[in-house]
Amino acid sequence: MSTPAASAPVHSTAALAQKALVIGLAGIVLTALGILVSGPQAVAYSWLVGISYWTAIAIGMLLMVLIHHIFDASWSVVLRRQLEHGLSAFKWLALLFLPLVLATLFYRLDLVWPWMNPAHALAGHETVAGDILYTKKSSFLNLKTFIGMTALFFVVWIWLSARLRKASFTQDADGDVKWTRMNRVTAAMGLPLAALTLTFAAIYWIKSLEYHWFSTMYGVWFFANCFRGALSVSVLIMLWLWRRGDYKGILNNNHLHSVGQLMLALTVFWAYVTFSQYFLIWNANLPEETFWYNLREYGDWWGTGLVILFGHFVVPFLLLLSYRFKVTHRTIRRIALWILAVILIDLCYNILPAIKDAAGHPKPFLSFNLLWVLTSVIGVGGICCWSYFRSFPTAKLIPIRDPRINECLTHHE
Amino acid sequence: MSAQPYGLIATFETPAEVYHAAEQVRDAGYKHWDVISPCPIHGLDKAMGLKRSIVPRISLAGGITGFITGMTLIWWTDAFDYPLIVGGKPLFSPMFAFPVSYELTILFTAFATIIGMFVVNGLPMHYHPVLKYDKIRRGMDDQFFIVIEARDPRFNAANTGVLLQKIGGKEITELEP
Repeated sequence: MSTPAASAPVHSTAALAQKALVIGLAGIVLTALGILVSGPQAVAYSWLVGISYWTAIAIGMLLMVLIHHIFDASWSVVLRRQLEHGLSAFKWLALLFLPLVLATLFYRLDLVWPWMNPAHALAGHETVAGDILYTKKSSFLNLKTFIGMTALFFVVWIWLSARLRKASFTQDADGDVKWTRMNRVTAAMGLPLAALTLTFAAIYWIKSLEYHWFSTMYGVWFFANCFRGALSVSVLIMLWLWRRGDYKGILNNNHLHSVGQLMLALTVFWAYVTFSQYFLIWNANLPEETFWYNLREYGDWWGTGLVILFGHFVVPFLLLLSYRFKVTHRTIRRIALWILAVILIDLCYNILPAIKDAAGHPKPFLSFNLLWVLTSVIGVGGICCWSYFRSFPTAKLIPIRDPRINECLTHHE
Repeated sequence: MSAQPYGLIATFETPAEVYHAAEQVRDAGYKHWDVISPCPIHGLDKAMGLKRSIVPRISLAGGITGFITGMTLIWWTDAFDYPLIVGGKPLFSPMFAFPVSYELTILFTAFATIIGMFVVNGLPMHYHPVLKYDKIRRGMDDQFFIVIEARDPRFNAANTGVLLQKIGGKEITELEP
């Protein structure tokens, strides 16, 4: 598997790929063992957190590449290549999503999503089948559309990624400008497709866990997290390649500054949509909407909400205002890691309170089950990193024949 | 002609020449001087030793003022000056004060940024002594200039002239105020 350093234009990533694969598989095995300890439902929810987390980051990368092309951007050409490697993870994410669907079909219909089982008993006296809020939504929320749509999401993401990767990688060899044009076409049709698929994915996978709820902001909330996750990972990749020496003479402070500015913008955007969702529900004060937040004020979820408010908005917002923090490697790396951690908490906040105890209260956030969330994130993440490292040597470090590569290398404020 | 000139101007032919000349003027410790170029030159700000603008700090001050104004406005009107219960909500909550504070944050930040920018860059400027120099029009076309102002504490007609000559400046001329 290893390539001799002399013949490879970039440092080999074979060892890293192997390491990531081992870590990923270990995470998956540990998560599977968790079923024996905490039961299938807790583990299935943890797996949903893990898979949504990394899918969100991959979707964010897809969005960044599409937006790069639609604006004919120049500063992000160098970074785009690394995002294209990241896009290789979609097929593995699709594969890793499969256990949830299979467990639902062959083990228990309401293992994760209660509405999948018409006989699922609701608190009180009725079942899902007799619930007017379900029957009204049943043409949208049913097992067939769920499976069909989920398959469609992954097909769209894999197809868009394949087009973007092929055009970009082929251009390295022949330098033909037609590949840039093809990417622009992919971007023009891909952006609405990506927007719709990520919105519906958020609704089907996460929001429908509590299908009584209403919110028109949900897809936008998910979008903001996707984008913020991808930006943070971009920073980590850029700094990693700088540290390794690959990016010496390629990366300058202005690239980091530009990514940092987007991080700041998306931090504000995330806060804007998340606050809007909360504020509209708080102000209207209708029971069919407020219950979702009431559940999340129970037990330690109340504190978790505050951690998200301050950790996901206030702290990164204040830090990212500074120019120096955005271009100081150590600081921006810490901010990126911090945001990645809080995105995970945000996903937990949206997913995990759907598991209730016998009294109908959400099970606490800080519990033994959190371990399976971590193993799931490590498991899926290991596979995603493996996919990235595996793709890394298949193309040049930077798109050397992109028409905008010179502008990117001399990127200036 | 007055006794004290505005400064000395020197001509350069290429961006590279003026760039390296700027580095030497910077290293000589001058503070009140400028480069005139028909096009942006990458990295010139660094070569001139320019610091980052202080406008972002003025913006931040404006933003904080706006946020506090919004919160105070809502608290003052709804909970203090004329307490009134609306929609069963508390008299004051940061929840409904937030949209107003947010808008005022943006508004005041925008004002502070625009005003701060004009104060810091000194525009609009209707007269500049350099404009009297008959060859300055080439600075909008194909030539580059360095101007060192007489108000710089290091300025000295003889020594500064020698420096400009040493760093490759041509046609070193005194500018009228």
